[in-house]
Amino acid sequence: MTKINVEKKIQSDNETIAEKNRRVFTDGDVFVLNIISSPGSGKTTLLEATLDRLASEFNILVIEGDVTTERDMDRVRAHGAGGIQINTGGGCHLSANMVSEVLPDLDLESADLVFIENVGNLICPATYDLGEDVRMVLLSTTEGDDKPMKYPAIFHESQMAVVNKIDLLPYLPYDIERAEKEVRVLNPQCEIMRVSALKGDGMDEWCDWLRGKLAAKRAG
Amino acid sequence: MHELSICQSMLDIVERTMNQHPGAKLKTIRLDIGKGSTIEPILLTDAFAIITEGGPFAGVELEINSIPIGGSCRACGKSFTYQELALGCPECGSTDIVIESGMELDIRELEIDEPEGDTEKGREEE
Ligand SMILES: Nc1nc2c(ncn2[C@@H]2O[C@H](COP(=O)(O)OP(=O)(O)OP(=O)(O)O)[C@@H](O)[C@H]2O)c(=O)[nH]1
Ligand SMILES: [Mg+2]
Ligand SMILES: [Zn+2]
Repeated sequence: MTKINVEKKIQSDNETIAEKNRRVFTDGDVFVLNIISSPGSGKTTLLEATLDRLASEFNILVIEGDVTTERDMDRVRAHGAGGIQINTGGGCHLSANMVSEVLPDLDLESADLVFIENVGNLICPATYDLGEDVRMVLLSTTEGDDKPMKYPAIFHESQMAVVNKIDLLPYLPYDIERAEKEVRVLNPQCEIMRVSALKGDGMDEWCDWLRGKLAAKRAG
Repeated sequence: MHELSICQSMLDIVERTMNQHPGAKLKTIRLDIGKGSTIEPILLTDAFAIITEGGPFAGVELEINSIPIGGSCRACGKSFTYQELALGCPECGSTDIVIESGMELDIRELEIDEPEGDTEKGREEE
């Protein structure tokens, strides 16, 4: 009996491709955000609201990840985004490989911001680096304030957490301080923001954050 | 939910490693899987049985070392592991803590039987 020391991350192949994607994105001088949330937290609504505010200022591309349909792509196109839909055909997450396959179809040279809307799921996308600059988790007040501790990996791996649907706070038993505290315990470095993608609260701050991230990346 | 694809990625690495040991027979795969990693050991074991069925790795033992979520507290300086993840340090209750383990998804080692008379060579490569 011989033991072979492997000591390798199971995700190391995905990480290699993610690094390649990251170089392509950096060559294109774009800021890339990977948005992860449970189904219906408002990822597409946030993109629509962002496009309404920034599409005249920036060239914005969206990579839409869904199990099936082009519905979300149609929605963001109607608000001024270019980009491409990836259908995972049952797959519960996007992988670096799926993203690398569509990169040749994207005009990164003339783009500024790239949003990747991951498949609605708080579990599986957490372990797949896509080559993004920032991994962001979107929470919403309708899904309960206990989610960070129940899905620790995604909060541990994200650099940004946004709480959406704050317009509904008066009607829900959602303790936003508690949710944010749970995020901080899992990840003290994680930035946190509150928005209502539907009503517009917090959207100015959100857009400024995106401007700042793009400027910081371009400054090197 | 993504245990099948994680299992496939794991087997890709195993296959490449085994290609460097021609003629050897794989006996055991040892993994470190964090309790916060989103991978459920039972589902991973099921996925492994399904994927390897009828192939060269059928019947190989999958040993999963489950790693608890743990960290250290910046308020009291203690290190700890959680039985169940909680909002703060189990010693002093401070929320100024750093999670340091429990997210692992690693292949640690393989156990193989070298082909007859080739044992020394295998040991050297190690
Ligand atoms: N009240 C309120 N509703 C919102 C807000 N943002 C999104 N919604 C609603 O939430 C529902 C789901 O929004 P989507 O944007 O489709 O959510 P999603 O995360 O893209 O969903 P999937 O792509 O299917 O995972 C829609 O009915 C939205 O109108 C918000 O800020 N406030
Ligand atoms: Mg959507
Ligand atoms: Zn403490």
